[in-house]
Amino acid sequence: MLSMSSEFVSSRLLFKEGDESTYELFIGPQHPASGHMRFIVRLKGDIIVSVDPDIGYVHRTMEKLAEGREAIKAIPLLERLTIIDSHNVTVALVTALERLLDAEPPPRALYLRTLLSEINRIASHLYGMGIAGIMLNHSTMFMWAFGDREVWIQLAEELTGARLTHTYSIPGGVRRDLPQGFKEKFEKAARYMEKRLQDYMKIFLLNPQIASRYEGVGILKKSEARRLSIVGPNLRASGVKYDARLADDYGAYKELEFEVPVREEGDCMARMLVRVEEIKQSLSIIRQVLEKMPSGPIFAEKYLKLLPPKTREQVLKTGHVKLPGIFASLKLPAGEAVARAEMGHGEIFYHIVSDGSTKPYRLRVVTPSFRNVVLFRYLPPGHRFMDFPAIYGSLDYFPPEADR
Amino acid sequence: MDIVGFIVKLFLSPQVFAPIVFPGLLTALVVLLIIIWAERKIAARIQMRVGPLYVTRHLGGVLQMLADGTRYMFQEFIVPETADRIPFIVAPILALTLAILPFAFIPSAPGFSPISSPLTLPAVLAVISAIPISVLLMGWASNNKFSIQGAVREAFMSLGYEVPLFISAISMSILYGTMSLEEMVTKQFIPGLILNPIAAFTFLVSMIMSAGKLPFDIVEGEQEIVAGPYVEYTGIIFGIGMGLAYLKLYALSLIYTIIFLSGWEPLPKLLYDIYPGIAGIFLFVKAFLLMLFIVFLRSVYGRYRLDQALKIGWRVYFVLSIVSLILSLGLRVILNV
Amino acid sequence: MNGEKPSWLIEIVSKLSELGIRLDEAKNVLKMEVAPESLREAAKILIQYGYDHLASISGVDWSTKGTIEVIYFAESYEPEKRGTLIELKTATSRENPKLPSLVDLWPNALLLERETWEMFGVVFEGNPDLRRLLLPPDWSGPPPLRKDYRVVEEGIYVEYE
Repeated sequence: MLSMSSEFVSSRLLFKEGDESTYELFIGPQHPASGHMRFIVRLKGDIIVSVDPDIGYVHRTMEKLAEGREAIKAIPLLERLTIIDSHNVTVALVTALERLLDAEPPPRALYLRTLLSEINRIASHLYGMGIAGIMLNHSTMFMWAFGDREVWIQLAEELTGARLTHTYSIPGGVRRDLPQGFKEKFEKAARYMEKRLQDYMKIFLLNPQIASRYEGVGILKKSEARRLSIVGPNLRASGVKYDARLADDYGAYKELEFEVPVREEGDCMARMLVRVEEIKQSLSIIRQVLEKMPSGPIFAEKYLKLLPPKTREQVLKTGHVKLPGIFASLKLPAGEAVARAEMGHGEIFYHIVSDGSTKPYRLRVVTPSFRNVVLFRYLPPGHRFMDFPAIYGSLDYFPPEADR
Repeated sequence: MDIVGFIVKLFLSPQVFAPIVFPGLLTALVVLLIIIWAERKIAARIQMRVGPLYVTRHLGGVLQMLADGTRYMFQEFIVPETADRIPFIVAPILALTLAILPFAFIPSAPGFSPISSPLTLPAVLAVISAIPISVLLMGWASNNKFSIQGAVREAFMSLGYEVPLFISAISMSILYGTMSLEEMVTKQFIPGLILNPIAAFTFLVSMIMSAGKLPFDIVEGEQEIVAGPYVEYTGIIFGIGMGLAYLKLYALSLIYTIIFLSGWEPLPKLLYDIYPGIAGIFLFVKAFLLMLFIVFLRSVYGRYRLDQALKIGWRVYFVLSIVSLILSLGLRVILNV
Repeated sequence: MNGEKPSWLIEIVSKLSELGIRLDEAKNVLKMEVAPESLREAAKILIQYGYDHLASISGVDWSTKGTIEVIYFAESYEPEKRGTLIELKTATSRENPKLPSLVDLWPNALLLERETWEMFGVVFEGNPDLRRLLLPPDWSGPPPLRKDYRVVEEGIYVEYE
């Protein structure tokens, strides 16, 4: 049944003798609910025995492509990793580049970066909740979450000019200043979102039928979560209080007050509730940012003085930054830099090695979904087959980000 | 003329008019079109969307399902090579036939039942309970791992809901003292819903389980087994498979209206004098409103897990239906109705 | 680091210096260079001090020097230790790259080692499950992230240099 030709290396675990009572299902990429990946699920009756996640269907070779391009071009390249959450992906890359180049962004730029990061975090959590809804065939949650994302995408468009592909942070600062009337628009959006969160609780999370699907399913123990290096709301729902905003120093988080929600149960319901709590915390962070925003330039003096005087005046007047010509062939000093940031899905990690030329010698990125893939091997076995979409939806796994 | 008069008399006789025109085959097809459109429209309005609007813009997209059905008819009907050919083609046709048969038993006005027999209630329930067998045949003949999973789920679910369905219906027939659908309407001085609410509730939930509507759409669970037993079918047969559940729902809601909501009362005398066949208008309206309510539940619920649905069917609704049986016996003794 | 160093850091530094490993500290990252033989010892010491999982394993191909450098980053979730990452650098030869596998010490190294194997060709001895992760199953070319791999599209070499 499974004769493999010996030329190529097989990519899935082979059947062993004596496995005849095991029922093997390929939940493949041509499946309405598998995302861009394949699962090889083995069942004995209705109980899952093992799951083998087969990733790599959307591998876009971003690490190799970054080695062939100048450093500044890596920012729009890597932004496409997780396009729903794009600023959080690039702010870590830009922090690493700044550590290598020894450039300090001005304080106003740090606050603006925090503002866009939190807007993206809310949009990313809404996406995750929508996918969790449709995995249980609860189409109302799906449609509501995706409809409400529109509010935040339009706010981001006010700030940066693009709905999803912001490319907002650059080494030295940000590209655009805060427009007029942003604060009133945000207040309207925040009031709307708080009302909608109550609606979501009533129809989805406090719905007794959904609670019976989610409670006690897919429990991740605290010690396992630490050893398996799980990140994001999945980790915080298992009782570990860790957030890369507290661990690494980027943005304006040191001067803002916010809580990191933690729950102890570790099942699917806890993961969804942590996401709802994080949306509320993000709303409060944005309020503080808009109140405490310092005035000043948004682009570092070191690079601003490289612009010709007329362009410099225009930049300071309109608030739209023009990149100096040196950025096209910016020489990265020899050395290494490490940076971490917190995306909606978890912690992203960058390591840049440079040998003194304009292109990075090695750009290593470890995305949160890549660290969460092991959960597909460890969580489902022992559960019933219909629990598998429930677990998948609650993990908020994003295949293009895991495959890079 | 003799031949024309004979044909007209044949057409207007209850044995032909009721199962074919109203509330039978033709009305069932029209109801199928409208109820699927209504489901999509209601769900869309709740979900901040518009729903189907393209086909007949001014009427709100009512003929969308007609357009879908026409498209299905022009698709190629593919029989996979590895599938069992004869059962693959026969099973959906068998399912459709069994789904239309109940209309041969359902009366639409007093004295206008196609088969006048004292045992129409068990007959119609028996026909409806034979439909899952054809679904099993569909799943097995497709020779696909996902469709076999769907067929197995259908087998489990049909065992889970058949027993409460039958026992609630039988408890009402004990209460009324008759098993004929036509006599049940005349015996309801107050609607059966008020006489025995437990049986009404149990029958309603078993009806939802049987028709595969949320929260019990486990057989065609799209997120796990991709349309279950119907996955290998294309063309008009796929359309038939999708419409099968709605036909079952329509037949069962007609029965529900007759048993619990006092059927065609109040009877419009004017229409009855013209032609008794069209006097069942209130029966149809009540059944349609009931179907709209059941279809609305789609926007509120997700899907239950298979073992949870079976647990509910056996531990909760089976017990409740036995309680309703005892309640009926008590009422019969007390009221001597 | 600002001000005085925490006690656990001093202990880690002293224990690792006993193994003869060269250490260095900069900007919240504790760097060390380790020979492949003492890799497991260093890992055991770090796990004792609470660095119980890896953040990344990455390879760097120094084609001019003839070595492949594999860099491990260990991370901890505890509140005092989370600001500091520990970097372990090892080097193996390019023709025959072999390293001991750390899967039994750090369980999340399973997928990370698979990726480094398929991208650089580094064989991790002792990994129970070394097979393709991101590349297609019928990939027959050289490991792609090495510097001598040139991308061919439609019959022509695509140069990035």
